[in-house]
Amino acid sequence: MATTAQSRIKSVSYAKYGYIFILPFFIVYSIFSLWPLIQTFILAFHSNGARTDLDFVGLENFKTILATPAENDFKAMGIHETFWRYMKNTVIIWVGNFIPQIALSLLLAVWFTDLRVKMPGKGFFKVVMYMPNIITAASVAGLFLSLFGDSSYSVINMLRGCSDPAKNVEPLKIISSVWGARILVMFIQVWMWFGNTMIMLMSGIQGINESLFEAAEIDGANSRQTFWKITFPLLKTIMVYTLLTSMIGGLQMFDIPFMLHTGNVINENIATVAVFVYQMFHANFAKPSFGYSAAASVILFIITSILGALVFWVQRDKDAMEKAKKRRQAIKEAKRRAKGGGFTI
Amino acid sequence: MNKLKKSLALIATLAIASTAFYACGDDSSTSTPADSSSSEASSEESSEESSEEASSEEASDESSEESAADIKFEETGDQLSILCWTPDDVTKMIENFEDKNPDYKGKCNYVNVGSKGQEAREQYSNYFAGGEDADLFVLEADWILEYINNDEYTAPLSDLGFTDADFSGCYPYTVSIGTDNKGVLKAASWQATPGAYVYRTDLAEEYLGAKTPEEMQTFVDSWDKFTETAATVLEKSGGKCAMADTLGGMWQVWQYNRANAWAKDDKLVIDDYCKEYAELAKNYWDKGYVTKESQWDDKGWYPIGQDGSTMGYFFCTWCLGEGSMLSNAEGGEGGATYGKYNITAGPSDWAWGGSWLAVSPNCDNGQLAHDFVKYFTVDEKSMEDYALFKGEFVNNPTVMKKIVDDKSNSNKLLGGQDQFSVLYESASKIDMDGKITAYDAQIKDAFNNAVTKYVKGEVASYDDMITEFKKNAATIEGLTVE
Repeated sequence: MATTAQSRIKSVSYAKYGYIFILPFFIVYSIFSLWPLIQTFILAFHSNGARTDLDFVGLENFKTILATPAENDFKAMGIHETFWRYMKNTVIIWVGNFIPQIALSLLLAVWFTDLRVKMPGKGFFKVVMYMPNIITAASVAGLFLSLFGDSSYSVINMLRGCSDPAKNVEPLKIISSVWGARILVMFIQVWMWFGNTMIMLMSGIQGINESLFEAAEIDGANSRQTFWKITFPLLKTIMVYTLLTSMIGGLQMFDIPFMLHTGNVINENIATVAVFVYQMFHANFAKPSFGYSAAASVILFIITSILGALVFWVQRDKDAMEKAKKRRQAIKEAKRRAKGGGFTI
Repeated sequence: MNKLKKSLALIATLAIASTAFYACGDDSSTSTPADSSSSEASSEESSEESSEEASSEEASDESSEESAADIKFEETGDQLSILCWTPDDVTKMIENFEDKNPDYKGKCNYVNVGSKGQEAREQYSNYFAGGEDADLFVLEADWILEYINNDEYTAPLSDLGFTDADFSGCYPYTVSIGTDNKGVLKAASWQATPGAYVYRTDLAEEYLGAKTPEEMQTFVDSWDKFTETAATVLEKSGGKCAMADTLGGMWQVWQYNRANAWAKDDKLVIDDYCKEYAELAKNYWDKGYVTKESQWDDKGWYPIGQDGSTMGYFFCTWCLGEGSMLSNAEGGEGGATYGKYNITAGPSDWAWGGSWLAVSPNCDNGQLAHDFVKYFTVDEKSMEDYALFKGEFVNNPTVMKKIVDDKSNSNKLLGGQDQFSVLYESASKIDMDGKITAYDAQIKDAFNNAVTKYVKGEVASYDDMITEFKKNAATIEGLTVE
């Protein structure tokens, strides 16, 4: 039996204050994030239409989206083809924006952190390069529409002389062309995000022990050797992080592809899966297709999870795993030997 | 120092916390009974005034006084909130209404919901769910059915004390669109929206020798003629002047002239009309009878009205006022083609869109809402006043006839021409009975999308275009496509 003094000491636990302080987050999170998340999974297995009468339909929505539709089933054809077209767009635009973005960011990050490069106004450039990220996507879309729009009066077409009917120059139709629009979106994404990625990579490089660079310099390594032998291998963890966040962000890309069009109809050459999700439940106000939206979200979720796991599997630390394996074996060996020794307690 | 820091932190925390309580107060409770009685008194006064003014209107005033008793809404609100996606109409209406009803000065309030009709369509329901003050709101022809067929969002106009007979002076089509599937009148329109062809007088004279709108009309009175004229204009201008402004503009004329509804028993209807329009559009696009700009793309749509790359626009009533699309196309006051346009009926009668006033079941200014709706949709005298004030084609043939006969309207943008005299003819022919469905907005988008692909050669043949259209339309939940 504990004495009263002992129990009093036991009850003075500061842990509960910690829990109280983090409680608001968990309450808000479960109402506004966790529940909608669960609800998405529930909706994915229910029928579409008015909100009141949704039946459980099993995997029907997934089947419509993924399976090849029957002949003359225009609904399934429409949804299936739209989804895959948008999926293709998503992958193309993501790959086309990630590779140049990471290359550019890495280059700039190395330059900005290199001790030998004495660049004046580093802070200024960092701010300027980060700036596009601060502008709202809607403004960016509006800006690029007026720069590269299909109209004879967009900046690019005015420069080419299209605004003068006497010259009779056909205007460039970038937004409504397939690859023109895609490349434009890739460019916008790179332009908006390279500053962000650069700052992330710079922090990664600055985390590398300076003495390593000094040692390399003393040993006569040139900048290329320093980069490939020191910076790049030690930057691996931050690169994996960038790759993952960019992948998740890329698969959910929505704002620019959604807004870069004129008129009522969304540009289907750049529309992404997230646009599909939005379109499905949003287009028809009276009878929203929540089922298809939710199913597409779940598919996206599964793809993201698989890709994320893949990235981790590729980037796993092989040495550490080898060591762990050896240790386990050694323990096993020791135990067996101990048993074999005939020692019983 | 430490104390200062602590107190600063405390103040900051309190300030942030206090924002959490913002908007929790009940607006309606702030209005005292005295308030509502005074507004009642004032409305009596105003009705007395108007009865003194015009003895011929006594009858209608009496009926309104009778029906005033039938208003089923409470009188607890301070402000009449009118929801719309654009200030163009509602702010003008409020200005005019408050000007003529000084007792209501400052009581009407325009609330912006969305920036396009499509946006408002989605956002109204969210706005209502938020429990904010909403008395009247504006609905657009393309999606009005979604709202008026739903009793959660709209109350019958009889709850405001109106009878069907009150709207007997309106254009019948506006009444039938405002009636829900149970035959209850849910929305009233203040405008009729006939359209016409608005053209450059200088170019018409140069290329066609047409000096008056009547002469011009002979060149454009049917689609065959219109096409012929387009060929002439293109040739005479050396290939730079197109007859029609945009595919979107041509489409507005065509979408009205479809004989069948887009859907019958929730099934998509595709008929010869679709082929006819698609082929015409392709022909126009390929030959350059229509510009390649897109409608509503401000950067392209308006400048072509000044640089001579289009002869004219397909515009309707609400495109012709001060600060409207026509004004933009002319470059505004002092613009290159300001006042150089004239209006003529064009190849066919048509109407474009239209807005209806509906009343929310949560309306809390019954009397004011009643007076507002009455002012713009029932009362002929005030409607005439508003027609001349804004240049609006109001929803009453008698009033419009009077304005045309009196020649009291002249439009600066049209070089002093009275657009009503042209539009009045086609307005009486507007008939949309049974032609609008709840799917219209989306079906039309899907169809146009397919046609655009067809004219640009992205789909090879008309049949492919129809398949494309069917696939797009089929994704609309509730619509069957075969």
